[in-house]
Amino acid sequence: MAEALPAGISARQLNEALTRFRKIVGDSWVFSGEKARSYHDPYPVADDTQSHRASAAVAPASTEEVQQIAKIANDLRIPLWVVSRGKNFAYGGAAPVLAGSVVLDLSRMNRILEVSEKFGYALVEPGVSYFDLYNYIQEKKLKLWLDVPDPGWGSVMGNALDHGVGYTPYGDHFGMQCGMEVVLATGEVVRTGMGAMPGSNAWQLFKYGFGPYVDGIFSQSNFGIVTKMGIWLMPEPPGYRPYMITFPREEDIEQVVEIVRPLKLGNVIQNGATIRSLVLDAAIFSTKSQYFSGKGPIPDSAARQIMADHDIGMWNFCGALYGPPPVTDALWAATRDAFSAIPGAKFYFPEDRRKSPDILLHRAETMRGVPKLTEFNFLNWNGGGGHVGFSPVSPSTGEDAIKQYRMVSGRVREAGFDYMGLMAIGFKELHHVTVIVYDQNDRDERRRLDELFRTMVREAAAEGYGEYRTHIHYMDTIAGTYGWNDNALMKMNQKIKDALDPNGILSAGKSGIWPRHLRGGKP
Amino acid sequence: MKPIVPIVSTLLLTCGVMRPAIAAEPSGKEVFQQYCSHCHSPGDDQPGTLQLGKTRGKDKALLTARTDLPPAYITLIVRNGLRAMPPFAPSDLTDAKLETLAQYLGR
Repeated sequence: MAEALPAGISARQLNEALTRFRKIVGDSWVFSGEKARSYHDPYPVADDTQSHRASAAVAPASTEEVQQIAKIANDLRIPLWVVSRGKNFAYGGAAPVLAGSVVLDLSRMNRILEVSEKFGYALVEPGVSYFDLYNYIQEKKLKLWLDVPDPGWGSVMGNALDHGVGYTPYGDHFGMQCGMEVVLATGEVVRTGMGAMPGSNAWQLFKYGFGPYVDGIFSQSNFGIVTKMGIWLMPEPPGYRPYMITFPREEDIEQVVEIVRPLKLGNVIQNGATIRSLVLDAAIFSTKSQYFSGKGPIPDSAARQIMADHDIGMWNFCGALYGPPPVTDALWAATRDAFSAIPGAKFYFPEDRRKSPDILLHRAETMRGVPKLTEFNFLNWNGGGGHVGFSPVSPSTGEDAIKQYRMVSGRVREAGFDYMGLMAIGFKELHHVTVIVYDQNDRDERRRLDELFRTMVREAAAEGYGEYRTHIHYMDTIAGTYGWNDNALMKMNQKIKDALDPNGILSAGKSGIWPRHLRGGKP
Repeated sequence: MKPIVPIVSTLLLTCGVMRPAIAAEPSGKEVFQQYCSHCHSPGDDQPGTLQLGKTRGKDKALLTARTDLPPAYITLIVRNGLRAMPPFAPSDLTDAKLETLAQYLGR
């Protein structure tokens, strides 16, 4: 099958670019034709074979090579789609928004440049995965913990730049970022924060340096290519006690969130607190066919059976206590007391969970920063393999939680899917992350998913709920919901885009931000 | 262009931890350990092992125990993915490593 060409670029131009890229990185690190297939979205939503298809990929090994590639792309107007490791799978993987883009794959830049046990930070390149950094810390026996998202094969940098979250007290990954090196579209290299001062030894210690704090504009954006990033790491605590509290009824989510909020704001709950739904947890270790062979979402009777088999609730709150035992004991007393107000709440520590596999035993590892891929099991729930995340943000109130749950679960089930959601309370906000698992080979399921997703975005926006992150297929759709004051934010982003990337070569369409020549009247 | 080589050199001198995260020429077993083991090891929390056991049968759940996997098939699946399993790009799992892996699993 012929690969898509970038808009306005001829095959001759593309071939010239690839020839010049090969001179920079070597023949082995430019991939086209069949070799570019692994850069396609493995879980496509679009109903055609060309949307979001990359034409080729180039994998540099250094900042200098990135600079040279950017220069060539500018000369020939070749659109590049920048990925750290390309493992952002619920959101498109390594695939570009703009068909025909050349993927700038930074996974070969995989050096761990510095790890400070004294201060608790690492300086990494884009290709360093959570597995890499974890293994390094273990090998060196450093008293540091990572904070990991559910899949451990992704990029430490890429996850932070896409506003990913984890489950320790360091769960806000971009919040724990400190200092960047950025190659601009025009090839210049910039270091942010204290890194802008020659001789500074506080690059990974103080974010703000002097003047405007610009790091944020390089997250979820297409304004530059981040080639180094500092990430803060948590000192190994003197004690760790994971726990799980289960709740038997769907409507309990309202009271649960009302209880979590003051505990979270008061730091009684120290980590990224997640309240997970029944099917999401059940899907980690079982499949739908074990409980229901019909079409559509599982019935209540199956839900009850799952709860009994796995000894879990309709909602399951996994948390952890970090610190010296007297501290964790006191925090647990306050936590248990607060949740005891909910009838039927059950409290567990790992030693209470005798069967394996078990959701608390699994989450206990994640909440202490052990990277894994266990969560990928939920893709096997109905055997279809595809998944996409719908992730609106709201205030952390019970009223919003139950409203969102009813809105989203109702639509999801109406479309024939099971509700697999979690409510994550980072600090003051509530991320309601719903994963829709679908059969990527079933055209009808993909069509229903697409309709469902667009309906949910529209209905959520009408209630003031906006997505914090999205799949490449929906970036314009989500960007369109952030349109206050005649799209003032997008207009500002476009000005920044035009100033920093005048030829529009970087990640066209990322977060709905298009270069001038592809804007076509948007927004 | 801003010179970045001195910056990197400074990091080398002061930190001494700069190193590639991936070994140069690993064995098939080492490639499996690095790229496949997190889903395809023995155990009931392994997505690959779990799914293969349910769809192909328990005797086919564990890749390292199978003798029916031609190297060319392994290469095809790794590069293209299969249902829940995403493809692996050649920038990370190189052709040379994949060949080593395919020979190891296809033995």
